[in-house]
Amino acid sequence: MAKVIIYPTNSLILSDMVERFGHEPLAMMEKIREKITTIGVDSPPLNITPEGPKHGLKYAAVEVPAGVRGRMSIIGPLIDVAEAGIIVGDASISFGCMGCARTNELTKFLIREKDIPVLEIQYPHTEEEGKAFVYNIAEFLKALPSGGDDE
Amino acid sequence: MMGEDTEDNITKIVVISSDSVLPMDAAMRVYESEDAITIKETCFGTMVNGPRDAVNRVVETLRSMDRNHIFVKDRGFKPGAEVRCRAGRGGGPRPGFHFLREEVSMLPMIGRALDEYDAGEPLEEKEAPQKLDVSKLKKIIDSEL
Amino acid sequence: MSEKDKVLIALVSCGSEYAGVQKELESAASTLNAKLVYPEMDVASLDTIGMEFGLEVASPDLKLMMARAKAVVEGVAKVDGVFVTSCFRCAEAAIVRNEIRRYIFQSSGLPVISYSFTERTTAATLLTRLEALTTIARRKHLLAREHQVGITAGVDSGSTTTKAVVMKDDEIIGEGWVPTIKVLESADTALQQALDQAGLKKEDIQAIGTTGYGRFLLGEHFNADLVQEEITVNSKGAVYLADRQQGSATVIDIGGMDNKAISVQDGIPGMFTMGGICAGASGRFLEMTSKRLGVEITELGDLAVRGMQKNVEMNSYCIVFGIQSLVNSLAKGSIPEDVAAAACHSVVEQIFEQQLQEVEVKEPLILVGGSSLIAGVPKALGDLLKIDVLVPPHSQLIGAVGAALLASGYVKG
Repeated sequence: MAKVIIYPTNSLILSDMVERFGHEPLAMMEKIREKITTIGVDSPPLNITPEGPKHGLKYAAVEVPAGVRGRMSIIGPLIDVAEAGIIVGDASISFGCMGCARTNELTKFLIREKDIPVLEIQYPHTEEEGKAFVYNIAEFLKALPSGGDDE
Repeated sequence: MMGEDTEDNITKIVVISSDSVLPMDAAMRVYESEDAITIKETCFGTMVNGPRDAVNRVVETLRSMDRNHIFVKDRGFKPGAEVRCRAGRGGGPRPGFHFLREEVSMLPMIGRALDEYDAGEPLEEKEAPQKLDVSKLKKIIDSEL
Repeated sequence: MSEKDKVLIALVSCGSEYAGVQKELESAASTLNAKLVYPEMDVASLDTIGMEFGLEVASPDLKLMMARAKAVVEGVAKVDGVFVTSCFRCAEAAIVRNEIRRYIFQSSGLPVISYSFTERTTAATLLTRLEALTTIARRKHLLAREHQVGITAGVDSGSTTTKAVVMKDDEIIGEGWVPTIKVLESADTALQQALDQAGLKKEDIQAIGTTGYGRFLLGEHFNADLVQEEITVNSKGAVYLADRQQGSATVIDIGGMDNKAISVQDGIPGMFTMGGICAGASGRFLEMTSKRLGVEITELGDLAVRGMQKNVEMNSYCIVFGIQSLVNSLAKGSIPEDVAAAACHSVVEQIFEQQLQEVEVKEPLILVGGSSLIAGVPKALGDLLKIDVLVPPHSQLIGAVGAALLASGYVKG
């Protein structure tokens, strides 16, 4: 089972596909849950305190805005442990975790920069593209170590 | 409020994009199987909340009802989390909702592709449209003039 | 106060939740009995809002900001004021933030303020801004007051000096001005000076207002009728003293330690910026210059008016390095007049760089605060902006006069 980072990091389709083909999706949601259930931290809604942007310094310099570093403090550790990655381009509107274009650019860069297998693909618009989208992702996931059709 | 979250409770969203399974059927199945689980119907799926193992068991049961047409993702916030609740905070839909809406609209297509993949249907390789050759473009320009 | 009295402030932001400042925002709002809400809007509008608004941006959250701004303007979201905020140093967001602020301000008449935060932004920093916003939303009737009635006092506890005035029926009949050492004692002294000059006793005062850094402490001490931040008070005081209560105006207040630039409409503050990051843009820079020149601060202005700033090369606006430049030029033989002019010019340029970029400068430009008395400063500002600068009488007492004026709304009978 490989740890696969997905982009967009909150994608239902990607998260589902990775799990479906027997791997562990590294997605934003689990991290958010960790954040908001941390005992003794009360900084709603996401419990990102001023410490967050400081942790983000590992991924971006201090001249990078606090919102980017705060987001990177969540996404960065996921990239750190990733063993493979799927980046889907042309994602339509999304907000919150994925709402900052600068963060998204940095996220994709860090995934690409890492020495791991990465699949880059576009979101489908037609039935044909949809088929190619699913086939490509499926083949990519199957080729990863100890992948399989069934969990 | 924080206390009850400290156990290993998780939430997953199950989105049903199936001709044979209705969200209601899925809900009934959940109620039959696990009593430690709570569910909440939303516009774009059923939120399943409870202890991690139980949620995973339930989600697997639901998936097996129509494997290629039921999709699952993790959710950071539990259903009705106060800090994210529209009633308390007022205002627009939660972040993440917009994107989920977009992805849900693609699910029928994804589901069909998964069926075809399972059936071993080959993928027709299609060449991506190439950029127009400069000489051809020149011809078009000349002909228009 | 009940839930019903809460001021609803629309939070139009692209990343405050991710930058570690959300808690500070919430805390500042709750101190003021205000509530931050996300404006309700039509989700479908997000697909087209960029083109509709005319700003194509890459970040989805910025589109969300535009959609929320539109919801506020069109009245879909019922709010009393708007707080537009984004990360400091983000150019994409800064463009959107400024245009949204302008759009809301012009199209809805709602009070709106804009701010860029870092993870170090604290509730205290946000408090003055949100307080001004909630006041405008909550006390419009108070701000409509154009005449001072009865006998009222205003005390402005600033970071450098404490000012007090006693007023009677639109006349300043006593004034006090002392350096701020201990907040309460300095205020007592200043008020006593004003009372002595007016020939009145403390008991004669019918209402009292406090403002400035020490306003809360003084408010309790004097059992004040009005405790108000300086954005609101100074706007009111400036247009009152300049006799420009109706129409638009721009107020620039250069105090001892910080400064403000406020765009005012009918005496009510609209967009404003507050300094507090750079001492090079404050009266302190001028104080240090006068010390270096061996003249009283009161003489610096006349010197500056006679000098030519161009004759002195300054490499920095900074209170350390800029002053060093001035000292170097003195050593090289520059005359004190030119150095004084260069100092005034430096302060004004720094204000221009830091603050006037963010407010619309509409005439009349009213310059207030202690530094307005240094004649070189209004001259340098006029030269820089190419407009006439108005320095009203008693411009150094702006906060105290504004507080006394607004407090007269509490005079009984």
